[in-house]
Amino acid sequence: MKWKKNDIAQYIEAKEYIDSVLIPLVPFQVSDENALTTSTFQSEVIYILANEIEKELTGRVLLTPTYHYLKNSNKETEVDRLNYWVQDVKQQPFEHVFFITFDSGWKKLEKELDGTLLWLPGSKTGNLQSVEMRALIKEQVEQLGELIRSYWV
Amino acid sequence: MSEKKQQVSRRQFLNYTLTGVGGFMAAGMLMPMVRMAVDPVLKETGHGGLTNVSLAVEDITTDPQRIDWKVEQVDGWYESEVSRSAWVFKDENDEIQAFSPICKHLGCVVSWEGNESYPNEFFCPCHNGRYYKNGENVPGTPPLAPLDVYEQEVRDGMLFLGDAIPKGEA
Repeated sequence: MKWKKNDIAQYIEAKEYIDSVLIPLVPFQVSDENALTTSTFQSEVIYILANEIEKELTGRVLLTPTYHYLKNSNKETEVDRLNYWVQDVKQQPFEHVFFITFDSGWKKLEKELDGTLLWLPGSKTGNLQSVEMRALIKEQVEQLGELIRSYWV
Repeated sequence: MSEKKQQVSRRQFLNYTLTGVGGFMAAGMLMPMVRMAVDPVLKETGHGGLTNVSLAVEDITTDPQRIDWKVEQVDGWYESEVSRSAWVFKDENDEIQAFSPICKHLGCVVSWEGNESYPNEFFCPCHNGRYYKNGENVPGTPPLAPLDVYEQEVRDGMLFLGDAIPKGEA
């Protein structure tokens, strides 16, 4: 399910079946000019990844709006804010919370997060339309789907 | 007889030739204009928007294989390429079957023999929905309808697929 009117209508009908949320974590910083290409590229990739995972597992996963934060912000504060998100999400019968990100900064704070962190190393740049990139993303989606499913059993 | 035969006068002859030549020129000019105006009508839509999915008929086996292809889609805001998938195989009557992989329960993607406990069935990983090989849903599992079926056609030995429609309505 996506954060869209039509999907949410379906969600309300079938709440008991949708027990997982997927929250993409994407850093955003315009001031650091050298990192602009990388961060925009990675943000695009994570967006595609999240959408593809959602497509495979629509019936059980709700993809929330992306959580954006400043790259140089204090991660401890961000963890607190993020956990507020999770607290709110869990008011509904959600059992599993997954975060997906390319930002390794979260890895160290994984234990403080109220959910499962899916951190994956991302390439710094590339061509999203290329055959190789598509194949790579497809592969990753498959494996991430498998990983998420393993939490359901 | 011959003396009664109407002579073509110079004036008439010139008239005929000029009309003829003028007519040709007018037609030559009008044709492209008319063609342009009715262009959408002339476009080949006779095949109901079927797409070549790059799968040769002889490569289709009795084992379902997943194929992916892209189609152009325009909705209110975006014109985009969307990817579509299908499970394609030949059934016991040697007829080609192409099922949509979208689970009829809540829309996850089902896979052939996706669970070792249920061989020879389509399996939905989200809520353990199951379908027999003919696309019918297994009673007692969450889905309440059989998998959608793609419109299909074979041309020059290649498989063409169109839209997925609910089984029985095809």
